[in-house]
Amino acid sequence: MNKTFSIIITLALVVGIGIIFLGGSKSKNNTNTTTSETAQNIEIKGGIQYITINAKGGYSPQVTTAKAGIPTKLIVKTKGTYDCSASLVIRSIGFQKILAQTGEEVVDIGTPKAGTFKGTCGMGMYFFEIDFKN
Amino acid sequence: MQKTYKFYIRGMHCKSCELMTESELKEFPFITNVKARLRSNLVEISGDFGDNSPENIAKQLNTVLIKHRYSLSVEKIPQEKKQDDVIWKAIPIGLGFIILFFMLQKSSILNIGIGGQTTPVTSFIIGLIASVSGCLAIVGGLVLSLSAKVSQDNTSDTRTFLLFHAGRLVSFAVLGGVLGIIGGAIGINFAFTAILGIFASLVMLFLGLNLVGIFSKNKITLHSGFFNFFKRIEHKTFTPLIIGFGTFFLPCGFTQSMQLVALSSGSFMSGAFIMFAFALGTLPMLVLLSFGSASFAHSKHAPLFFKSAGIVVIGFGIFSLLAGLAGLGIINPLFNI
Repeated sequence: MNKTFSIIITLALVVGIGIIFLGGSKSKNNTNTTTSETAQNIEIKGGIQYITINAKGGYSPQVTTAKAGIPTKLIVKTKGTYDCSASLVIRSIGFQKILAQTGEEVVDIGTPKAGTFKGTCGMGMYFFEIDFKN
Repeated sequence: MQKTYKFYIRGMHCKSCELMTESELKEFPFITNVKARLRSNLVEISGDFGDNSPENIAKQLNTVLIKHRYSLSVEKIPQEKKQDDVIWKAIPIGLGFIILFFMLQKSSILNIGIGGQTTPVTSFIIGLIASVSGCLAIVGGLVLSLSAKVSQDNTSDTRTFLLFHAGRLVSFAVLGGVLGIIGGAIGINFAFTAILGIFASLVMLFLGLNLVGIFSKNKITLHSGFFNFFKRIEHKTFTPLIIGFGTFFLPCGFTQSMQLVALSSGSFMSGAFIMFAFALGTLPMLVLLSFGSASFAHSKHAPLFFKSAGIVVIGFGIFSLLAGLAGLGIINPLFNI
């Protein structure tokens, strides 16, 4: 009886871990992909698309939808950031740097083609995605 | 008159324990030959015991074996069934701790804003935060697994832990100072820390499985390889010092940020102070983990503790391994914790 009880608790805990890992990030995606937020972090000035990502305890917005085919620069803002999100890694363009604790890092990502663009932190605990669309 | 007795032995868990048992028992003048067998948990003892009954002999021999936490008995003491129950208690306990840890990370109460100049005081506070942050999964997980393993094998664990913590504090100060002198000339290599992190998570997985007891059935093959090596080095003085030194390079965002601050501090003293204060901030949590596991390991809850710790360490090991692979770009990032 003791054993069955333990198994039930174990299953409940496994489901809990599943919710924390998968469900949690899914709901975050949904709120962040709302158009108002996406519109706020993209600005096109002088033919260059600027995408702003805040880095502190993770990256926000986590998913951004932007236009493909125009010169794009990424602005990563840190504000008293000491955690993993300060060590930014973008594999596709070979960028890796530990960002200053407070400041803005401008990363030139060229003219992106349609597709998903990913950035992670050095330890792989946080990531962000930019969905480039034609 | 020469006689040979067979005794069952409890608590003997490694290949080198055979030698230890044999050499301890040979100290008795009336014993001529001892053979300890790990696989069958049997000890064969030959000697001149006079009129002593096997029970009394076992009692007498146990007086020296007790300090290694082994004990001899005439009857086989069944322990398999008891351990089965322990694992079913350990799994929910271990998972409970893992859930608490990740809920703490999700709650974002750790994202306290610390602005302005980084002083030794702020780096101490950042150390405190870092010690309960995601870095706990890798640094804390490694400390927990090694501490539990050392406590399980070794009675002089206090000295080992003191050396580890001292080694960690001193190397953080010295390396911070070195970064302060060198200035911007070097960058901290991401791939190097990521590979070190993956190595650490593999060690955690291995030790975690061992603590849970997955390997206990075929302990001989495993102990002769990696564990003989591990056992040989864990008794040496420099090993805990080196591991303390190595934690400087483990992948942890907070450590890397502080390294950057030390790098731009401009002098040996200021760089050393910043890294030392940071290491001091992480100290309470790590001391709790290492000495906490030692005190549990010597209590009557030891089997439950080892198995629960094993579950936690396996969980953290999997998390660190996946995170490390994602950091290297080998797999897609799976989570935002």
